[in-house]
Amino acid sequence: MRETPNFTGWRVTVLHRPEAATERLSRQLKLLGFHVTIQWTPLDVDELPDMILVDADQGWDNLLPWSGASAPRPVVALLGSEAPGRIAWLMEHGSCTIISKPITASAIYPALVMAVSIHTERETVRNRLLHLEERIRLRPLVHAAVQKIMAARQTDEEHAYSILRNCAMQRRLPMEQVAASIIGGAEPLPEAG
Amino acid sequence: MDAVKIGILYSTTGPYGAMGRESRDGAEFAIGELRAAHGNLVQPVFIDPHGAIPEYLEGARSMLRDSDCRHIVGTITSLARKEVIPLVEKHDGLLWYMCPYEGFEANENVIYTGACPNQHLIPLFEYLLPRYGKRPYLLGANYVWGWEMNRLSRELINESGGEILGERYLPFEETAVERIVNDIEQRRPSFVLSNLIGPASYAFLKAFKLLGDRDPAFKPENCPVVSCDLTECELGEVGRGVATGQLSVASYFDSLNTPENLAFKARLAKRFGTERRISNFFASAYSAVKMCGEAILASGTDDPQIVLRRLSGAPLSTVHGDIRIDGETNHAALPFHLGRITTDNGFDIIASRPAIAADPYLTGRRKRPAPKLRIVS
Repeated sequence: MRETPNFTGWRVTVLHRPEAATERLSRQLKLLGFHVTIQWTPLDVDELPDMILVDADQGWDNLLPWSGASAPRPVVALLGSEAPGRIAWLMEHGSCTIISKPITASAIYPALVMAVSIHTERETVRNRLLHLEERIRLRPLVHAAVQKIMAARQTDEEHAYSILRNCAMQRRLPMEQVAASIIGGAEPLPEAG
Repeated sequence: MDAVKIGILYSTTGPYGAMGRESRDGAEFAIGELRAAHGNLVQPVFIDPHGAIPEYLEGARSMLRDSDCRHIVGTITSLARKEVIPLVEKHDGLLWYMCPYEGFEANENVIYTGACPNQHLIPLFEYLLPRYGKRPYLLGANYVWGWEMNRLSRELINESGGEILGERYLPFEETAVERIVNDIEQRRPSFVLSNLIGPASYAFLKAFKLLGDRDPAFKPENCPVVSCDLTECELGEVGRGVATGQLSVASYFDSLNTPENLAFKARLAKRFGTERRISNFFASAYSAVKMCGEAILASGTDDPQIVLRRLSGAPLSTVHGDIRIDGETNHAALPFHLGRITTDNGFDIIASRPAIAADPYLTGRRKRPAPKLRIVS
């Protein structure tokens, strides 16, 4: 790890009944640089903190207003139970990692660093997937544009494809977008490169 | 108040025995002074774990369970500290840890009176980089102290636009250092940061002295070996004159010219004579036991929570000067001193900073904005 993880100025919400254990957790989070809110009411989706810790032993569905892979922030589950249903619950709500109860001070920082890393990785993968899906969805457009260029320029498929690709690269646009404008007739066919 | 017991857990044998003996001596000296002032109200329980982790566990367990100690002063390595902490937590005791360490810990059941990186490594680099350059060679003991100190060094050097010329690790007792010295000779770094421990450290300093004798580019004035834990107590093991000119950081040196230290040394001279040089380990163990004992006596109980509250109040007068223990992190604010080793195995203090508050998780070093809007409250 090149850069020391630093939580200074981050906002964390601990979804837990206020009790002695959350006081200690809160103390540790504060010395890591967090602004800490403790609540036992559902999170406001419009006012999300930077990170969420949730009591997975007693957490209920609406506490975290999302499900599964789409958790918009890193979530860490606080867990004492070993019940499969509780483990399933925390995973269904997108927890990146677990801090076991009773919470020991030394468990907190490593779990938070790991949660941020896993959350970032999930977001990267999710965005990449969306991007690729979009490209696959628009593939027929590219094919149609290549056909149009082939007919207009009397050339083979490979050359037509490279004309389209060069045009996209010159304009720094995705091929799909250039293809869409060609099909739509919004612009003249690119010249053979 | 009934007599209370303080556990003293230091290894006087094994690879870091020199530090352990020094720490134990410091603790003993403090107990002696507490006795002289308060009678037998504070009683020590000495256990020597001989540098073996299972013996640390057994020792700590016996102190907490069988001897009714609620305070343990001890452990040198982070490995031993991490092993002992769960036991101290379980018995709701307080561990007094007084060695320089790599930070990233702030346990409610531990008082940290040793420096962490914002009190040793970071000010050290702020001193070194403008004077010697930004191309160090990193050495470390093959465990968390060496790894983490060098990881942070790499981060600091990258931020400064410098370059790490090499990074090597040795077990405590490995003394075959020739390949490393040859590598350093070829790469020609600006300085060598040594986080080696014990015999590996001594062997390296000896071999590096020979290199400097062969090639003046590796004399201490051109390419110093710098450390954050090499003290007076180990220079005897290294050999007289071997490490002359090399640099080390500590929050205490024998040569400190402060009223507290002069008075301290006058008391020590009556016991040990004037020849003995006092290291940071001796002074820190002494301070820890003194603070612990006095806080217990002033509180009228050894209840760790009550003792803790008393400690984090007013500044405490110690041989390190007045130090303050932060109630949030349980860490002491400590002065920074950089010492240059003299021909007779002492240190000339060449740079100092007044007490620096500990920042064990380095939260204040880089105020990186939060991923979203940052609330300033």
